Amino acid sequence: MKAFTALTNTELRLLLRDPASMFFMTAFPLMLLVLKRGDSGAVPGYLAMIAAIGGMGALPGVIASYRERKVLKRLAVTPVTPVMLLGAQLVAQILAGLGGSVLLVGVSITLFDGEPPGNVLLLAAAYLLCAVMVCALGFVIAALVRNARGANLVGMLVMFPMIFLSGAAVPRKALPDSLRQIGDFLPLTPAVEALGHGWAGTAAVFPFMILAGIIVAGTATAAALFRWE
Amino acid sequence: METIEVRDLRKTYGDTHAVDGVTFTVHSGETFGIVGHNGAGKTTTVECLIGLKRPDAGTVRVLGEDPAQRRRALAQRIGAQLQDSSLPERLKVAEALRLFGRFYREPAGWREVMARWGLESLAGKAFGDLSGGQRQRLMLALALVGDPEVVVLDELTTGLDPVARRETWRLVNDLKAAGTTVVLVSHYFDEMEALCDRVAVFARGRVVAMGSPGEIIARTGTASLEEAYFALEGAGR
Repeated sequence: MKAFTALTNTELRLLLRDPASMFFMTAFPLMLLVLKRGDSGAVPGYLAMIAAIGGMGALPGVIASYRERKVLKRLAVTPVTPVMLLGAQLVAQILAGLGGSVLLVGVSITLFDGEPPGNVLLLAAAYLLCAVMVCALGFVIAALVRNARGANLVGMLVMFPMIFLSGAAVPRKALPDSLRQIGDFLPLTPAVEALGHGWAGTAAVFPFMILAGIIVAGTATAAALFRWE
Repeated sequence: METIEVRDLRKTYGDTHAVDGVTFTVHSGETFGIVGHNGAGKTTTVECLIGLKRPDAGTVRVLGEDPAQRRRALAQRIGAQLQDSSLPERLKVAEALRLFGRFYREPAGWREVMARWGLESLAGKAFGDLSGGQRQRLMLALALVGDPEVVVLDELTTGLDPVARRETWRLVNDLKAAGTTVVLVSHYFDEMEALCDRVAVFARGRVVAMGSPGEIIARTGTASLEEAYFALEGAGR
């Protein structure tokens, strides 16, 4: 446990030292909120976006570079397992995203007089599931793409269309029919729905179950395909 | 019980016999060298010692345990410096030492290790900004931060300038003096001659000679370990 806490601390610190991650997980959603004139209806979608930027935009490149540069191999000859490093990266991503999310919600409420979330616990649960889900997809990308550059690129290529088609960055109502139909099949769509329910304070079981299902499937796929070297 | 026992170790990759029947023992407190040119099977042998690779045949025992089965338990007692492994680019020197210290039940004080290896002036420097020699020194220090009984150092001084090399030799001698069992892997013959109590000379996946550097030099009628190596290597073809 001591080792895992130390690893998580380190991973979080490294994440905070990465200017791109920091910008896209804190300043960028705030900028969008300002452009929307503080419309709090957009906030739940932005929360999904923050998580997706971390889990799919940043995580695959980090993990693939740990493998490519033999950081995982070095860890394998300590009493710590490389799996622990992957777990620490997951927890660090969740915490960093949570920080960005709390900042966004706080600014929305205090500066723009936005509505507070209807059910904080439900919203937190939805965020947690969303964050774990996008990280599971990030691990699948890191398992499929061997080199760090490629994993980073594929992460971006998957993440960007997804945040636009799932309703995270722009409301799905604003999309043409054909694009909206594509969104129906994207894993981030139920995440945006679950966050929307948490925000409104309306209970809904279905999107939560879908998220849980994607987490299980993604983790199993990543575990089966991941190569340590 | 010997600290390290390797008997008839074999490891094959495809058609290549990387290690083809290697046997040696390392006594407690000894500095043991594995010497030979690239591709002689040195690194594969070492990776079997620290549990990174599973032998195809033969037995390996380190501190009485099988590394392939008990890698994590043994990792508490073995410090390893691997060839070309690295750390996250933005991790700082002091952070790396403190982090690795947390992995072990009874670590050496990370600040002491940092001081002993001359890393204090680099404490706040990120791994990505270190020179090759500085990285090497940090990776060596990380191998020792767990206060191990056995230290395995693969390519100890590759990338170090002559001054740093001599300094590293002195530190290895300190380890010897403290009773630590050290396994050195290198293709620098002068280094092995200067540091090792005994060496195993590897060629094409086999041990072609074993003994103290002096014995091997005398047996081959040569003037240095390097000349002895070429005499042995040539005879084996």
